[in-house]
Amino acid sequence: MAGAADLEAPPPGAGEPISEAEALRRLRQSEDQSLQYYAAWWLGRMRSRHPDAVPLLQAALRQRQPRNPAAGVEHNAVARNAARALGKLGDPRAVDDLLAALEDNDDGLREAAVRALGDLRATAAVAPICRRLASGLTGAGAPQANSPKLQEPCEALLEALGDIGLAEDPVLRVIEPFLNHDRPLIRSAAGRALLMLTGDPRWANDLLSLLAHPQLQVRRAALMDLGAVGWRPALEPICRTLAENSLKLIALRGLLEHGQGEPDDEAILAAMDALL
Amino acid sequence: MPEVLTTAALIAALEHADSSAALLTATQALAAAAGDDQAAITTLVQVLGFNNPGAAVAAVDGLIAIGPAAVDPLLHNLDVHNYGARAWAVRALAGIGDVRGLELLEQALGDDIGASVRRAAARGLGQLQLLGLEGPLREAVIERCLQALEAGGGDDEWVVRYAVVVGLESLARTMEGDADQLQRTYSALSQLAAEAGEPTPVVRLRASLALRRLP
Repeated sequence: MAGAADLEAPPPGAGEPISEAEALRRLRQSEDQSLQYYAAWWLGRMRSRHPDAVPLLQAALRQRQPRNPAAGVEHNAVARNAARALGKLGDPRAVDDLLAALEDNDDGLREAAVRALGDLRATAAVAPICRRLASGLTGAGAPQANSPKLQEPCEALLEALGDIGLAEDPVLRVIEPFLNHDRPLIRSAAGRALLMLTGDPRWANDLLSLLAHPQLQVRRAALMDLGAVGWRPALEPICRTLAENSLKLIALRGLLEHGQGEPDDEAILAAMDALL
Repeated sequence: MPEVLTTAALIAALEHADSSAALLTATQALAAAAGDDQAAITTLVQVLGFNNPGAAVAAVDGLIAIGPAAVDPLLHNLDVHNYGARAWAVRALAGIGDVRGLELLEQALGDDIGASVRRAAARGLGQLQLLGLEGPLREAVIERCLQALEAGGGDDEWVVRYAVVVGLESLARTMEGDADQLQRTYSALSQLAAEAGEPTPVVRLRASLALRRLP
């Protein structure tokens, strides 16, 4: 569901608005990483077209830094934001550096990199993503010791496979086991990917049933996933879901912009009007 | 006076609700029984600040059904620090459509930091009840709505611009042959229907639909 709701929000401590030139200057220096962190976010958010933006973000993506809990800094904070920004800028030159980041030991960086590779529709990422997921529920999908995380950032890896769109049998076979994961968010990501890749209605049922899940967080994820797929038969179930109208509106926008067929555009627009 | 006792009992039930489901049921029951009971209306306004979407929807529906009697309690009990509550209150005022809410809707669309608040305000500015208003006053209210919506067409969030389109379409239907106002409405909608003026496909589609539907 990431990439949907409020990920566009500025990072903590963002400060006042800056110019593109100032963002590039901050990213170019390396003494103050918090300035680089904000600059990387800014260039992605503003969809910078400056010729220096991508090369500077690629350099930032190669930076490594330890986690600093005292300063509230996450592991490889600058590199993670650079990966996210490169996904937004849509320049295929970034693919090789992102593929390298996908092999990093930091799973947070792998997650940011794979989301960006999904944004870039990078077919070169399909094989390494499948390799990471191939160990299935007991490998990639098993919980880490003493952490809420899984061994691999499965949700992001699955979503990226759907976004990239290579609908080959081996890819589908890697995704399918995750429909039975213990965690509903992982099931939702797997359903989203299979539905995107095949358009086969049988994969929609799991997503539709998650719209009625007792946890709000799961209902929100299923909304975002159905919207990302553009699954128009979900119109009525989405409208009935107990969740914020803001999220339903984003999901319905997805049905309209990514989907086709019935219900038609006017039916979706009428449903959106009723949610304002 | 059994009705008074009933309302008081429903308020007590709502205040003691210990789950989302119980709160939703209690809110629906109170909304159905509230009538113009001030304590009941005030309690429904408070529900808007409970951070419980299900109950808030029920409270908004109830407040809209109560209508003009709910306007003062809504205007005077807005929690300025709770943006969820503000969004629900603006939705209720938008749904009631009483012109006493005009200033709040203008402010909300222009200044509020919450996109969901600006969104509700834009929709509300298109659906104020103008029936009882005389010529010049009526035109002045429409003018204020139109100016607020014209400015709202430049909002940063697609969903607010979408709501501006919906607001402009319904506002246009209240304009009784004022050529200048109609012209400005078409001009704002045309801008939101064109790729040069509007980056988001769903907003352009909605604006095109509005232009097709208007005379």
